[in-house]
Amino acid sequence: MIELRNVTKKFGSFTAVDNISLVVPPGEFFGFLGPNGAGKTTTIKMMTGLFAPTSGEILINGFDVVKEPMKAKSYTSYVPDQPFLYDKLTGREFLYFIGGLYKMEKKAIARKIEEVIEHFEIGEWVDKWTEDYSQGMRQRVTIAAALVHEPKVFIIDEPMVGLDPKSSKIVRETLRMMARQGASIFMSTHSLPIAEELCDRVGFVKDGRLVFLGTQENLQAYKQKYDGKFESVFLELTK
Amino acid sequence: MATFFHILKYKFLSFMKSTFDRRMVSAVRGLGSLVVFGGFAVVAYLLAFGVTKFVLEQTRLSLFVYHRFISMMLFVLFVSVNMGNIIVSYATLYKSSEVGYLFTKPVSFMQIFLLKFLDNFLYSSTTFFLMVFMALLGYGAYFGYAWYTLLAVMLFVLLPYLFLSACVAVLILMSLMKAASKLGFRKVLGGLAILYIAVVVLFFQVSNPVTLVQKTQGMDLNADGYIKALDSGLLSNLPNAWASNVLFFIARGDSALAVTHAAQLLLVTIAMFAVVLFVAHRFYYKSWLVTFEFQARSNTVQSGRRLKLFDFRKKSTLSPQMESLLKKEYFQFFRDASQWIHLALMAVLVAVFALSVGNVNLKLRVITIQTVGYLVLYAFGGFLSCSLALRFIFPAVSMEGNSFWSQLSAPLNRKKPFFVKFAIGFLLVLMPALLVAVFSNAPFVRTFEQRPLLMYFGIFSAFWVSLTLVSLNLGLGGYFANYKERNPIRLASSQGATLTFLMSLVYLVSLVSIVIIPLTEYFQSLFQFFPFEMSTIVAPATTFYMLSASLSAFALVVGLRSLQRDF
Repeated sequence: MIELRNVTKKFGSFTAVDNISLVVPPGEFFGFLGPNGAGKTTTIKMMTGLFAPTSGEILINGFDVVKEPMKAKSYTSYVPDQPFLYDKLTGREFLYFIGGLYKMEKKAIARKIEEVIEHFEIGEWVDKWTEDYSQGMRQRVTIAAALVHEPKVFIIDEPMVGLDPKSSKIVRETLRMMARQGASIFMSTHSLPIAEELCDRVGFVKDGRLVFLGTQENLQAYKQKYDGKFESVFLELTK
Repeated sequence: MATFFHILKYKFLSFMKSTFDRRMVSAVRGLGSLVVFGGFAVVAYLLAFGVTKFVLEQTRLSLFVYHRFISMMLFVLFVSVNMGNIIVSYATLYKSSEVGYLFTKPVSFMQIFLLKFLDNFLYSSTTFFLMVFMALLGYGAYFGYAWYTLLAVMLFVLLPYLFLSACVAVLILMSLMKAASKLGFRKVLGGLAILYIAVVVLFFQVSNPVTLVQKTQGMDLNADGYIKALDSGLLSNLPNAWASNVLFFIARGDSALAVTHAAQLLLVTIAMFAVVLFVAHRFYYKSWLVTFEFQARSNTVQSGRRLKLFDFRKKSTLSPQMESLLKKEYFQFFRDASQWIHLALMAVLVAVFALSVGNVNLKLRVITIQTVGYLVLYAFGGFLSCSLALRFIFPAVSMEGNSFWSQLSAPLNRKKPFFVKFAIGFLLVLMPALLVAVFSNAPFVRTFEQRPLLMYFGIFSAFWVSLTLVSLNLGLGGYFANYKERNPIRLASSQGATLTFLMSLVYLVSLVSIVIIPLTEYFQSLFQFFPFEMSTIVAPATTFYMLSASLSAFALVVGLRSLQRDF
């Protein structure tokens, strides 16, 4: 479960995230939407411990990310918006590296790696240095790495960037399956069709503030106020 | 050329904005750098003035011999700039994303080459320019030269000299790329490293300073025959000899010969630059393409290969986190040619130095000279440790790059990766420091009836100096971390790195000033056959320890705190 309580992040006098509160229960697929610079990535970076909140609390499965970061992070997997990998490691070595950071046994890592290699169809590339990978291949390896330790909370920033249709389909199915298995999925995206297709609930953020928070049903009702299009709702909420 | 200047304008703007941004933290950093740089420049000036005065007035060495020493130092400078430019040029001419981007634009290959070549030269040699210029001012002040003479020497002798070194570097690099495409990258770079060491060793075999002093004893120092007798052969036709000859003939008041040698140097530099442009025109783009081919060939690791020590698949007795961090460090280092080849080169240089000083006869019997001789070796050993720490430890945190998210978002205490880097760095600096300490103290122990006190001091000192230098470089490397820069050489020559290096040198100078009195007393007791009072070393040893420990603790705290910053 993910819980944000009055979370604010300021950079000097600029407020990037302004008093956001929300809860993503286990098994829910939550979509976090907003225009560029709205505060989506900043929120995600606070949830993963890369940024410290200026005020407020972020709880992952009941553990405060700031006060008990090790416990909170042990439940989390994060896929950043830019899939940066260690360029002199192979994809397979990177997967082992991540498994080690999550204190997994060697056998369990090896088994899981074989699974994700097959699942994401990266066998041909997995033993090459990642500096040779395309953007899409990096993205696949990054998502595969996020699955190695079977997380309870999955935080993913713009997952479909750089993916071809086949990879995109694999990722969508994987995320849906994880939600069905009880993981909390927090996904930031620009893609309205993907949010509409995958998410149980969505939140719209603008200038660091949460301006809409509702289920697909709420959203459908809201859509009817306009021309029935998700895009119109997005433009209205974020204008 | 309009495109060239257009790009240059924006690169300059970018540089100015990043150098003089208006944030308070940058202003403080800038001011700190200015103070330390300024202090170091003043030291370079005073040292050049003092050394010139000492050599020409206190010793029996002539103007000519002194300028031969300057020639040797210029040779070392040439090799340093040359090596630095080869490694930096490889990263910027062949591996830079900026080059890849510019190739997609209507910009000619030659313009891209020229931009990156000048970029390398200016970036990697800025500190050298400053120090060389200040040393020239100090040297010139002794002779009372006018400002325009010094400016002319800087512009028409020393700058072309450094530029010539950079030209040779890029020619070697392009030849290497051609050879590497056929023979493999590691073999070619290994061969180059051996060649460099051979050249340096050969140069000092042929132009040995001690032999030079012995040869000149009893000669008429003002006769031209004296100069001709010594100034012959291949060595007098090297650029470092031309540059030192310019200084020598100016000092002798022979302007015509000075101008002749300066013109010779300038013409060769221009000719070499023309050759560089010609070769680049023919070969740069082709060699850039070649790098992709052999990179693709060499960057695959066979999944079915035999398990080796650092293989991730191999079981380990370490904790999973520690194992992951150590193996990651190993692969990131040893798969990066600019890292391991530089380390191999420095390791060989340390070994050559250690073996050379191990055979020196140091029974000088004059207390002051004995002390100075010891301290020079001591300071040089410290300087080697400083260079190693700067080159390999300072960039360590930054080298995590944007991929650091994977560790920062994992359930991993941030102290762990920091202390893994610390432990590796400490071993890397301590081993050569101990080697140098043992070999440089062995002659003293041998000479003075097997009294091991200096050896104990050497080992104590190697431990604490290595610890402090690694802490300083890792801590301040974390504080000045730049995760966007992927080139370790550029990181090690950045403003923060230079500041750290200068702080390290100040620390070394402080150590020398702490040990100078007890050391003099120790040699006094040996030469005058009275027992050495061990209590005299308690206060200096405590000061040494306190200074090193407090500096280490300060730097490590700064480094650890910097890891808590937003990523």
